[in-house]
Amino acid sequence: MDRMNAIVALQQQLQQYGYVAERSLAATLLLTLDMPRPLLLEGEAGVGKTEVAKALAALRDTRLIRLQCYEGIDAHAAMYEWNYQRQLLAIKALESDGRDAAHKEADIFSERFLLKRPLLDAITCDEPPVLLIDEIDRADEAFEAYLLELLSDFQMSIPELGTVRAQSRPFVVLTSNSTRELSDALRRRCLYHYLDYPSFEKELLIVETRHPQASAKLARQAVEFAQSLRQMDLRKKPGIAETLDWVAALLGLGVTTLDEEGTDRIMDCLSVLIKTREDRAELTREAVARIVATC
Amino acid sequence: MLTTADTAGNNFVLGEILVARLAGFGSFLRANDFRIGTAQAGDILDAAGRGGLLEPQVLRWQLKALLCGRGDEWRRFDELFEAYFLPPNRQALAESRSAGTGRLSRKSDGRDGSEGMPAAQAEGAAPDNDAGSAAKHGASQEESLAQADFRHLNQPDETRAIEALMQRFAARLRHLRLRRERIGAYGRRLDFARTIRRSVSRGGWPFELAWRERRRERPRLVLLLDVSRSMSLYSFFYLRLARALTAALPDIYCFIYHTRLNGVSQALRDPDPWRSQEQLQLLSAGWAGGTRIGECLAAFNREYGCALVHSRTAVVIVSDGYDTGEPKDLAQALAQLRRRARRIVWLNPLAARQGYAPVSRAMQAALPHLDLLAPGANLASIERVLPQLLETLT
Repeated sequence: MDRMNAIVALQQQLQQYGYVAERSLAATLLLTLDMPRPLLLEGEAGVGKTEVAKALAALRDTRLIRLQCYEGIDAHAAMYEWNYQRQLLAIKALESDGRDAAHKEADIFSERFLLKRPLLDAITCDEPPVLLIDEIDRADEAFEAYLLELLSDFQMSIPELGTVRAQSRPFVVLTSNSTRELSDALRRRCLYHYLDYPSFEKELLIVETRHPQASAKLARQAVEFAQSLRQMDLRKKPGIAETLDWVAALLGLGVTTLDEEGTDRIMDCLSVLIKTREDRAELTREAVARIVATC
Repeated sequence: MLTTADTAGNNFVLGEILVARLAGFGSFLRANDFRIGTAQAGDILDAAGRGGLLEPQVLRWQLKALLCGRGDEWRRFDELFEAYFLPPNRQALAESRSAGTGRLSRKSDGRDGSEGMPAAQAEGAAPDNDAGSAAKHGASQEESLAQADFRHLNQPDETRAIEALMQRFAARLRHLRLRRERIGAYGRRLDFARTIRRSVSRGGWPFELAWRERRRERPRLVLLLDVSRSMSLYSFFYLRLARALTAALPDIYCFIYHTRLNGVSQALRDPDPWRSQEQLQLLSAGWAGGTRIGECLAAFNREYGCALVHSRTAVVIVSDGYDTGEPKDLAQALAQLRRRARRIVWLNPLAARQGYAPVSRAMQAALPHLDLLAPGANLASIERVLPQLLETLT
């Protein structure tokens, strides 16, 4: 039963840092921490993939280093770059120096002139940081292959400087929205967790954790509203992030309960939940009133 | 059951049984279409050794994290876990590819018949379809439960010609340029950072220049093939085209649709032709039935739209335009697709006929949203239309 106790303990710790995790996610995280392997998180937008890494960093009291991937990201943007301008200045300054060329060169290609990008930063930390590689599916295959090499032995070779080995193994969290199929090699190397839209109970707990000032009734109604929106055939379904924003907006407007008289005020701040024109058109005043009536 | 390991006395023997049982789970999942390497057998034991052997729930979570690699595997895992580890369910759910029934266990009846015909229909007996419907042609509403005969997928006669054409097409696609840049030896724009970097070795003199050149990048292709009954003459031809193209291009996704939509990229990509056939066989339920283009496109938008279609994607729809769904649905789905995709091309086999005019209601609804409507009934007409197609894709 030790393992189960450890899982429950981790779950409670996460909640202290404001992240509500299912027990299965806690089990995965525990495995990530002691195997240690990268964790690949997939799921719809706004279900809290990035938050996992943040909570993990808070929990372990370490730095969170984030690498946001985008189409066309290359090794230089992700790993390191030489500070050319400073190098040039140094060369000019060294011209009057009497030392031989080899010494000068060693000087110019020293760590002083190295600009650390997130990946190099992560493997040169003293304390193992949490490395969040966000939206890995946006980067192209070439970069993914590059990353694979780094994730398997946590070392990086810089031609002018030599091989940099990780002083401590970072905890790696990768997130993906599956805009591109990731390679099997990468998937095999990672632990995997799929985050779904939360159940009613979980979402309610999240809202209560993040917005303790909201009344129990409002929280319950808001969550029910969001849950029924997800049942509809919308182009962009609201995630947890949207629900939280919406509750904040309702609180800001001084709404204490959702009722049919207050439909106007709900319509006013619906833009927090609904992000496309088609969906907005679908949610007429009558439709909203109907959903509110069932909450 | 897992709880047999609790006595410390004969731990060794039990350990061995457990190890074999756990290691067998990997191959069980592999037989159920999980992409798992053999190296992962060791990982299973490692993860299980970290606790959880006595707690099935914990073991389940840990193995799930370890062995799943994608969303569909994640959703199927629980059922398979129970089937493997919980004795009462085991017989009921256990299924393996070697036993002939895949995870989509469908009836595999008659496999004789001519190309493109549903097998049951070609045999003269339609076990799942009522006999009367065999005479119906054109668009029909009902789902066909018959399966198609995929033997002709690998027929040698035309295959080489198709492959050659598709390779030519792929090579031409490779020359399409998009607005991305990379560092190169020649180009139009100077790469300053790189030039300065190179000048360091020359004592600060920019002696070697670095340029930014335009990167070549293929558009992603998404093929949506209509395999309804009215298309039965052409659907195999297009499937073979798709198979050849899949082999030649890395970034291509293929779907077949009739009354429902099925992804077939994985099956087509399989280098083993027989295994590929077998997988298609499983996916082919509904082959040569009715058509609901609008609904299928809407399903595509809903399930794959965000994931597959981006600003470099060209969507190629193959259909004769005989649709039993509402033209309104089709127009709406196409309009939605239009906003995401770079190009939408519609290949219509009927358009090769003389005097063809896109007058069917579905074609009328679709036309405003298309970049190109082209004929394509056989290899020759595809070849003729290829330059036009390439032009549209740039």
